[in-house]
Amino acid sequence: MTDDRALDEELDWLAADYAIGLSDAAERVRAEALIGSNPAFRAAVMRWSARLAPLLDEVDEVEPPPDLWATIAAGLGKLPGTHGNVVSLTRRLRLWRGIAAGSSALAASLALFVAISPRTIAPPVASHIGAAPLVATIGDKQTNLVASWDPNGRQLILVVAAAMPADPRHSHELWVIPSGGKPHSLGTMSPGPRTRMNIQQSLATLMRDGATIAVSVERPGGSPTGVPTGPVVASGVLQSA
Amino acid sequence: MSSAAELAALLRAVAAGDRRSFVDLYRRTSAKLYGICLRLLRSEADAQDMLQDVYLTVWRKAGQFDEAKAGAVTWLGVLARNKAIDRLRRRSLATDDLADALDIEDDAPSATEIVEMRETAKRLSHCIEELEPRAQSMIRAAFLDGSTYSDLAEEEGVPLGTMKSWIRRALLRLRGCLDR
Repeated sequence: MTDDRALDEELDWLAADYAIGLSDAAERVRAEALIGSNPAFRAAVMRWSARLAPLLDEVDEVEPPPDLWATIAAGLGKLPGTHGNVVSLTRRLRLWRGIAAGSSALAASLALFVAISPRTIAPPVASHIGAAPLVATIGDKQTNLVASWDPNGRQLILVVAAAMPADPRHSHELWVIPSGGKPHSLGTMSPGPRTRMNIQQSLATLMRDGATIAVSVERPGGSPTGVPTGPVVASGVLQSA
Repeated sequence: MSSAAELAALLRAVAAGDRRSFVDLYRRTSAKLYGICLRLLRSEADAQDMLQDVYLTVWRKAGQFDEAKAGAVTWLGVLARNKAIDRLRRRSLATDDLADALDIEDDAPSATEIVEMRETAKRLSHCIEELEPRAQSMIRAAFLDGSTYSDLAEEEGVPLGTMKSWIRRALLRLRGCLDR
């Protein structure tokens, strides 16, 4: 009945190791790629997982703290339907609070989030301090960007939640626009789903509540003029968590 | 103690967006899933964080639960375990916590379409007991405690290759017994 032999032996063990948790990080990455691309591999992983799953019966139950439910319920409450991006925001919020908690500086304790929505669809996210940040529009076919600002490390991280079409003739440039002020370039986004930028001190001070983060389409390498020269395709307003 | 059928019914209701059933499901299953996360992550803070993640995923993906393919407890347990292992492994990579938290790979099918065979606990229990005690404890250490080949090799003081062949021999026997 089993078709583990449909895979060659090396892949079969990769599947077993992954399912059981024995692989190292590099092997996991390889296995995860294969799960996506190779149905026989994926089936083998699932079979190994199924074989050992009953072991979980042996794990002792431990009651979680009673206030944990409230956070889950709150996370549910923020879901306008069931979109993954908003759940990601909720999760990130919690992790971010954990990181910010260690710092005593007021600026560092601000956790700033940007929910960037495609401009063509809806107005930018309304920002009000204290409310949970939400992605303003969620369209299946749209490119959604989620950004996190880390004041401690002065790092901006952006993740593209859907496929950003590759465009060799253009760069996507990031801007911070202080409320009522002029755009300042943060640099161009990396190709691929993640961009990580170290932001210099002078720009870091601009990353505050009420500032806008925008993405424009520019020639390769970015705008030569210091202001956007191409269309602004997405923007959002920084809000604290 | 909730029966598999009760939990399956709750999951179906959750898939339809029923929040009361979701609360009920949480009440009945959170101790088990928290136990799984705690055992793998060994940190209450991380396990609590993970548990929230798990239940939000359950909320979103309850529709993928298929009673014909897996028991509800198994489905939930493997979901929790997979996510916890994922997090455990990411700890050891030099990746950015914030970027990880965004977790855009969360929609990967392996997170929830996890089992396609209904295995009974008795069959595994019987088959795993046919292995030598050392092999049994290593397999448990890997599956329940999150040990890698390197971890186990180090603990036993043997080369990686030796550990791999021990475990693989044991897994082949296990598979042979289970698939009989």
